[in-house]
Amino acid sequence: MRAVRVPRPRTRSFVLPNGLRVLLAPRPESPTASVWVWYRVGSKNEHPGITGASHWVEHMLFSGSPRYGKGEIDRAVVLVGGELNAFTDTDFTAYFTTVPREHLSVPLDIESDRMTRALIPDVEVERERTVIYSEREGNENYPEFRVEEELYQLAFRTHPYRWDALGRRSDIERMTPDELRAYYHRYYGTRNATLVIAGGFDPRATAAEVTRRFSPLPPTGDDVAVGDVEPAQRGERRAELAGPGTTPYLEVGWRAPALDDPAAPATMLLDALLGGETRLFAAGAGWGRAGEHPSARLYRALVDPGLAVRATSEYRPRQYPGLFTIQAQAARGVSLDRIEAAVAEVVERLGRSGPSPTEMRDARTKLARGVALAYEGASRTGFRLGYFAVLRSPEFEDQLFRAVLGVTAAQVRSRARELFRDEARTVVRYSPTAEGVDG
Amino acid sequence: MAEPRDPLRVEYGSDLHGLTVVRQAAPPGAASFSATYVGPAGWGFDPPGQEGIARLVNVLAPSAAGPYGRVELARRLDRAGATLSRQCAPESAEVTIWGPAAEWDALLGLLAEVVRHPRFDPDDVARVRRQVLERQLREVSQPAPRAERELLRAIFPKGHPYRETGLGDRRSVARIDRAALRRFHRTHYTSGDAVLVVTGPARLGAVERAARRSFTGFAETNAPHLDVAAPPTPTSGERTVELPGRSQVEVRLGGPSVARSAPEFPAVFLANELLGGRPLLSRLFQRVRERGGLAYHASSDVEAMRFGGYWTAQAGTGAERWRKVVAMLRDEVARLGRSTVSAAELGAIRESTIGEIPLALESTTDAHELAVDVAYHRLPADYWVRWPEALRAVPPGRVRDAARAALDARRAVTVVAGPLAPA
Repeated sequence: MRAVRVPRPRTRSFVLPNGLRVLLAPRPESPTASVWVWYRVGSKNEHPGITGASHWVEHMLFSGSPRYGKGEIDRAVVLVGGELNAFTDTDFTAYFTTVPREHLSVPLDIESDRMTRALIPDVEVERERTVIYSEREGNENYPEFRVEEELYQLAFRTHPYRWDALGRRSDIERMTPDELRAYYHRYYGTRNATLVIAGGFDPRATAAEVTRRFSPLPPTGDDVAVGDVEPAQRGERRAELAGPGTTPYLEVGWRAPALDDPAAPATMLLDALLGGETRLFAAGAGWGRAGEHPSARLYRALVDPGLAVRATSEYRPRQYPGLFTIQAQAARGVSLDRIEAAVAEVVERLGRSGPSPTEMRDARTKLARGVALAYEGASRTGFRLGYFAVLRSPEFEDQLFRAVLGVTAAQVRSRARELFRDEARTVVRYSPTAEGVDG
Repeated sequence: MAEPRDPLRVEYGSDLHGLTVVRQAAPPGAASFSATYVGPAGWGFDPPGQEGIARLVNVLAPSAAGPYGRVELARRLDRAGATLSRQCAPESAEVTIWGPAAEWDALLGLLAEVVRHPRFDPDDVARVRRQVLERQLREVSQPAPRAERELLRAIFPKGHPYRETGLGDRRSVARIDRAALRRFHRTHYTSGDAVLVVTGPARLGAVERAARRSFTGFAETNAPHLDVAAPPTPTSGERTVELPGRSQVEVRLGGPSVARSAPEFPAVFLANELLGGRPLLSRLFQRVRERGGLAYHASSDVEAMRFGGYWTAQAGTGAERWRKVVAMLRDEVARLGRSTVSAAELGAIRESTIGEIPLALESTTDAHELAVDVAYHRLPADYWVRWPEALRAVPPGRVRDAARAALDARRAVTVVAGPLAPA
């Protein structure tokens, strides 16, 4: 195969004296400009009692700062035809605004205002409490969310990955405005942020504008390493859930390596072989998982013979060791015992015989072709650059991609044997109750 | 003659035995290509007793076709770095291919193969049938799809194509065999009344030549007729569906609305943007979420199709708050048809909509959606170029009148689904 590289655009990067890291990816032809601010704070920085604080702070950053009152951030962006949003993950929180290129100053003004000076007033915290509660309830309507939350809670006993970024119900009910403000002041700031701008702009003028707006901010914000190390799992863990739903559902998880672990590339290839794609380098207009993958092993073993209506895997490498998961939704009338046995057989066979040369060739081709259009559009460019920058560096994407393409069949086989050990497995099964299928 | 390079302006090409070819330039800097076939193959055409067949065909077509079995087709796409997707609606069904612009000709050929020669392999049919059966269960047991289903059933009478969601029921889907699938495909995946929309670097002439090559021999039949009688005006009413064990209640309000090509569409569009369509600025978002803190999502939509449409307003909230949210939704819909919107509020919404047009040109996929909309509804080639002018021509009084007629609060149906009593 010809040497393939990630089509990452040429970027200019610099660091302001207050620690703010800036990445500029100009695309002269782009009609839009996309501004992303990534903070190295997420649910990994929380502890029991304040779980969900990162996500709540994310909401509060839309509710007032010195130059923008409540609702004025939304208004300023939407009135010029822009769109904005934010999301919170285990390892980071990201804010993005995409505007017609001539309005680039609008998001830069907003981000410089709220990076260190968000107000987080008591009255707005209270109002947002029910909104966040509602967001969580919306997710709880889906058995898949309940199962995944339970899975992580079981698989991790020490590390903060054991709770979802939305936080526990009891903490959402209890958390105080003071706790949220303290959290914000500790983690938000120039030292713990990366500003990414992609799209149609003049890099020299924009660099000057960024310097003018962000340089006066104080050097604040801590990137705090998680001290808790999750001990090795020494026995299978499992849980049975019941509730309204359609057909039985199963999720199995195994401890998986962190992003910078040398074992990560082979684990990503395992994901591609079992589930059909690896999320970071998938084809399609979105962020992976666009469709079905009938050539993938799980699909052939579970969906083709009629055991399941959906079956896939997921490995998203994180800053700290996370999970490799397999999800399957049973076909009507099929028991979870049969599904679980089929999943066990699939992973065992991969460890025993390894992938075929055809599978390896197809997986590599899929990765190489899939990544070719990954940087189309200013918003997507801002996302990808920031994602890798906040976890390691933009250049790390090339390194990781090359490493994944270089994985051999023998390495996949040996990785499967190391990863899919019974004593490191966590299983959550969900059985629908009668009321859920009353139709 | 130079061809348009502005992605906002499409070009109508020749008519290939009823199949209208439409070309759109890719946005500047885009390296991908998209092509969509849209045909009269929606679930409004499901024969009685075979409800669900349109969706089955729409899922099966891009699954295995011509010389490609399911795995071979997937490999063919992977080798090209391309994807196939599909969508089914009451009036129409579409199949889209997306991939590198450099391979547009070959990918267009693959799209034609999929649209024209689906295999309906028995194993594949059985698999998709199982998947549809699971989706049927999801539709009745999940608050959001259940509320949507009940709303449509309350708005439209039996037999109306907009009344159903296209999944059929257990018996109707079980009844659909391979012969029925082939029959439906032969009748509805035709050149008659269909469009082929191509967004990419190729010029119109090249697209037409490629389309002629790929779609030669495509069944040339008269477009099937969809019987869309005007729905009787629903009287306002409230329907509740208790779904115990869920966490959130889903609230829906709605009623019949206008067709996409209706002259008053720009006014109805603006009325919906004011109500709940414009993210963050709309009245529903501001009142229910920002000021009320009552829900994570609160919005509205107008589903404007060829022969008619419907509007909905929706929110998701807790069991102890849904009555308050329903009252707010009703009040905001009524206010829109009762009082004239201020010039300032309308101006803000309108200019925000117009200002957003460049965002629709970020990528080929984004721009392609605009072209498919224009082509399917047979709108003028410069529709999106003139869109700002059309919106600026709508005075506040017409927005109020449009809301009164096409987002009619007096005859809105309300559906609430979820855990109705607080735990």
